[in-house]
Amino acid sequence: MKAAITFLLAASPLLMGQSIVSSEARAQELERVAKAATAMVDGDVCLRIETKRSREFLQKNDPRDPWIASDNFDVDHAPFIQTKKTLMRLARLCPEACDANLWMPVEGNPPRIQILIRNVYEMSSFWKWGDLHQPMPEEMRRVLATGERVTFRGKRGMISVLAPVYDSLNNIVAVVEVVSQEKRDLQENVK
Amino acid sequence: MQPRGSQLRFFSLSRLAIILIGALRCSAGDLLTLPEHFRPDPFGGIVEADRSPGAAPARAITLEGARASFVSCHLLAIMPQPGDYSLDAGAFPGASGLQVELYREWFHYLPKTKNYYPDALVPVAPQYRSKLPEPDNRIANQTAQAFWLDIWIPANTTPGSYRMKAVLNAGGMLSAVPIEVKVLAAQVPAEDVVAMDHNTYGTSWLATDYPSLSQRAGDSFFTSDRYFELIQAFHRVFYENRGVFHQLGYGHGGKVGPEFAPRLEGTGKDKHIADWSLYDRHFGPLFDGSAFAKTHLGPRPIKLVYLPINPEWPASFLWWGEPGYEREFVNVVSEMERHFREKGWTTTRFEMFFNHKKRYKAFPWDGDEARFPADTAYMLEYSRLLRRAVPPGSPVKFVFRADSSWTLDRQVRELAGVVNFWVCGQGELAYQPEVARTLKQRGDTVWTYGGTPEVTEPSSHITLQVLRPWMWGIDGFVHWMATDPGPDPWFQFEGGGETLVYSGDRFGIGAPIPSVRLKLQRNAVQDITLLNEFRKTRAIEQLRAEAARRFNGTELKDWWSPRPPYADKDPLDRTNADEGIPEGPRFHEALDAGAWQRVRTYVLELARQEPAGDAK
Repeated sequence: MKAAITFLLAASPLLMGQSIVSSEARAQELERVAKAATAMVDGDVCLRIETKRSREFLQKNDPRDPWIASDNFDVDHAPFIQTKKTLMRLARLCPEACDANLWMPVEGNPPRIQILIRNVYEMSSFWKWGDLHQPMPEEMRRVLATGERVTFRGKRGMISVLAPVYDSLNNIVAVVEVVSQEKRDLQENVK
Repeated sequence: MQPRGSQLRFFSLSRLAIILIGALRCSAGDLLTLPEHFRPDPFGGIVEADRSPGAAPARAITLEGARASFVSCHLLAIMPQPGDYSLDAGAFPGASGLQVELYREWFHYLPKTKNYYPDALVPVAPQYRSKLPEPDNRIANQTAQAFWLDIWIPANTTPGSYRMKAVLNAGGMLSAVPIEVKVLAAQVPAEDVVAMDHNTYGTSWLATDYPSLSQRAGDSFFTSDRYFELIQAFHRVFYENRGVFHQLGYGHGGKVGPEFAPRLEGTGKDKHIADWSLYDRHFGPLFDGSAFAKTHLGPRPIKLVYLPINPEWPASFLWWGEPGYEREFVNVVSEMERHFREKGWTTTRFEMFFNHKKRYKAFPWDGDEARFPADTAYMLEYSRLLRRAVPPGSPVKFVFRADSSWTLDRQVRELAGVVNFWVCGQGELAYQPEVARTLKQRGDTVWTYGGTPEVTEPSSHITLQVLRPWMWGIDGFVHWMATDPGPDPWFQFEGGGETLVYSGDRFGIGAPIPSVRLKLQRNAVQDITLLNEFRKTRAIEQLRAEAARRFNGTELKDWWSPRPPYADKDPLDRTNADEGIPEGPRFHEALDAGAWQRVRTYVLELARQEPAGDAK
């Protein structure tokens, strides 16, 4: 029975953006994928994504150039692509449209965090469109501090499960957000 | 600089008008007129930005124009006391073919300047009834309502003079404005010499800006006929005003709006187009021109369109660098080429254009305004893929577009023969005339991009964006954002630097409505297109030199900037704070509202001198 339901969910292309999965069932599926993300995403590779030069500019403010940080944002292509492909594969485990996003802390006090890799449905419960980095949400702080997976129900029917990403020293260096939406907005973020 | 021709007549009449305006204080109402470049305020005067010595509303106006073009002016219904009125815009003799279109001018309140500027144009019937103060505009002590009068001169109009009267009836008292239109034998060519492009992104804002339409359609709004009619209405309002409309259909992460791309199925070698229905409903009438059937300019396919191609469509980025990426890309784009060819959509140029930036965190390279050297390789690869997908000699016009600023000169070198449609940062191209020449010699299309003058700037400032590309010998200008009037354009207006149209929703119109600035721009495009025709009998440099002299008292060399010191830095060491060498006040604060009228006077002088038919 469970297999049949799973098959039906996976077969649904959800062309109209309408989910037929209950909120609880969706959260469980996302949790399963988030758990896999912890196993599959390589924290050492994640640490190599943003270039040193870009990190130096990331928190710069110049009243004469409000875009100084974003104009200098840059990544090392190989680790970015390797990690993005892993996230895309993880998203394929979801029975319905979902994104797996990578978040990484930004040094500073109070703590901040940046989304570092987004994906095709452009969904996130946390990202404010266009922000290069932002204050650390409490849920992400908890993941980074404890290694727990955290489920978060966001705006507009979004559900996110946050999972830790470890490097080879067993440090938690990043967070994967696996996110889906009850009713996908097909027009949102097409801009 | 002295006004000439009909301009001179206007000033004579305006002196008379000043006297007459004093007399009208004791009358029920009066109808007056202003040339298009003097925008009225809601109290019977001219807006601050357009004022000049001696300018004032007048009792009559003479307009002069070529065939296949519009001529325009403002009408002012002035009533010292509140009350009802009716305006009859009049009509020309039927045999003339001249067609009158009337718009009520909305006065936008700007908190930052604490005054009113007209911009949105609400289409109204030539016989209009209302009251002052205008109830929906909510202006305390409003004593004047302005109207924009468009007069279309069809291509087959017999040259000569035509007259009509616009009549105001206020409290039973009539006031008339004689309007004369002198039609020249010259004809404005159908193809504009500069493309004025109006850009926007996505469609989610349409539901917000058109609540009546979206609420009526409910959840199916984005697949409803009304929705596609609305998008086509956007194309139409710009087309009818001699512009181009671009609407990007994908996001920085590769999410594609379902109506901007055919639906795909499968993966790898099996990926294919499964359904064209939404795409064809959206674009079919635009590509075959039928969306423009009822316009003055007639049905023609749109000139350009963004393709949905991005790093995530049609090929999944999951396969980037692997055989599957190429297979997915080539298979799907080949199917598109075949579909377009079979439909006969061979006039529109289909643009492969990468708008994404790495700062939005979805892809590792910048497609738009590239800055980092390593990003060039992606452009080369996509060029290769496009060549593989599109058979040589295809009648379907695929072009590779790049919007370039920081590294314009480098990209022009590295992407020679790869990119053939360049949209250049205006500030960067301004000091690189050799780049413009190189690109044009290659046969590439060259536009610049920038912002839109706000309503608080003199009315001529929007025409600078028409004149500059022509002076530079390039092909067009992009208003990078042309459909965002801000959260409350009606009563808390921010200036309109990102819009040239407004939602008609609050007026019961399920379509965008034009603006004064859009009309001023259109009329300038007509003029420059006609002026360009005289290159058949005169040196283009002579035409440009005289246009520059009349516009702002400059010489041709003044239109290019000296090379600024920052230009020799590594692009990665440059910042937005690096200061270019300013053009000087004649291009900015000293550019008066009458600048374009002087150019028009020149164009009309030439048009009168040319034997009929030479300037067709």
